[in-house]
Amino acid sequence: MKNQVIAFVLGVAAWTAPAFAQPSPLLLPPAVEKELAARASDVTEVTLDKNMLGFASKFMNGKDKDDASVRQLIQGLDGIYVRSYEFDKEGQYSMDQIDSLRKTFETAEWSPMVRERERKTGETTDIMVKLVNGEPHGMFILAAEPKELTIVLIMGPIRMDQLGELNGIAGLGGALGPLGGVQHAPHGKDGDNSKAKDKKGGDQ
Amino acid sequence: MARDWQPDFEQLVDEHQSMVFSLALRMTGDRGLAEEIAQDVFLELDRHLGRIESPLHALHWLRRVAMSRSADALRRRKVRGMDLWVEMEDGYGARVEERCSPIGVRLEQLLATLPEPQRAALILRYQEDLTPEEIAATLEAPLATVKSHLQRGLKLLRAKAASNLKDYIRTATTG
Amino acid sequence: MDDLERDGLGRDGLESDEFERELKQAFERRPAPPSLKRKLMDRRSRQRTERLHLRKVMWERLAACLVLAALVGGGFEWHQREEQRKGEAARQQVFTALRITNHALNQVKAQLAEHDRDRQE
Repeated sequence: MKNQVIAFVLGVAAWTAPAFAQPSPLLLPPAVEKELAARASDVTEVTLDKNMLGFASKFMNGKDKDDASVRQLIQGLDGIYVRSYEFDKEGQYSMDQIDSLRKTFETAEWSPMVRERERKTGETTDIMVKLVNGEPHGMFILAAEPKELTIVLIMGPIRMDQLGELNGIAGLGGALGPLGGVQHAPHGKDGDNSKAKDKKGGDQ
Repeated sequence: MARDWQPDFEQLVDEHQSMVFSLALRMTGDRGLAEEIAQDVFLELDRHLGRIESPLHALHWLRRVAMSRSADALRRRKVRGMDLWVEMEDGYGARVEERCSPIGVRLEQLLATLPEPQRAALILRYQEDLTPEEIAATLEAPLATVKSHLQRGLKLLRAKAASNLKDYIRTATTG
Repeated sequence: MDDLERDGLGRDGLESDEFERELKQAFERRPAPPSLKRKLMDRRSRQRTERLHLRKVMWERLAACLVLAALVGGGFEWHQREEQRKGEAARQQVFTALRITNHALNQVKAQLAEHDRDRQE
């Protein structure tokens, strides 16, 4: 009887464990999000599940080049979740919380694409990609700076080439080239200027 | 042409209630029913008052509707299987006008025994003094049909009257 | 002379013209009963009151229908506007999310480019 109970409990744990390891669309626990928002001078929270993306897509003008590009980009996505916080001063968030979040993506499903650590500035950047049959089906970006914290989670089939063309879309762009220039970083190494990079180049 | 004449309901009632009542009475042979029919006819006039264009139009309209309503009432009675002749006697016997001769009263009673179409034609001919064409327009029937009803009705009434009068004379002389 | 002779009726009962004269006399219009007009006017008054009441009810119902139609129409229009507003808001959110994503990616690229430069030096 005792052995049966233990087996049952282990079975339940085994069944639920993968679920715990999966990234939750909520990203951070609600209490943590609330605390960060309270401390930030500027907060941007975007939660768009599949339905909302579909809904938003209907209101994009197919005749407008930018709208058409974005519509194509988000087509088929399961969700886009963004949390962006800007702080007036440093030390407004705990790295433990950030590490805890990062660990949820350190599973077999998610491959690290970039892992940047700047000791001098205290900046850390992680880009993880979920590969399904070799194709990107999710992207997780965690960019932590002393006074800025950005978390992006995109779920669903991602067209990396289109993601790279975001700069060309009015209102989204920056000064740099397409995403293809981002290089793959080895998994697990903390960054300093001399870290070895596996230069794959091109589209990831 | 602008309409100068405006129908006054009460005035039309005063002017034509006897005509309408008489038509209904002679058609149905029942005073109570005739009064009811007359009321219905005037209430219908009230609803259609806006369409009455002249006093003559009102007269024609009332005649037509009175005959139509009376025919409807008779049809309902036939369905209920009532004996018109008995009704007629009871109805007429109660209120005989003094200025009518006995022959006249008897003729009215005999009128009720005629078939309805012939009765209608004779009433319009001899009560309202209408020509066969006017009777045809009132009853909305073909002229030839009306003429036939008048001829047959008159012939039948005359025969009945003659037969009745012989009995009357026989009774009067032996009584 | 009895009544029949006075009326001018012949041995066979009736002369043609005489018969028709009798008919005309017999079929003179009978005066309507005095109660006819009174009853008629009473009924007419009652019917008019009822017709006015029914007309009032009909207008009230029509007004209610119009108000309801206006509310529904207005509600539908409001709903359409709300949908448009929400859709526009959702669209803006997509653009915001992608802007932040792009900013983050650009920052990463900048950092990597800097590292590459440092290494080459």
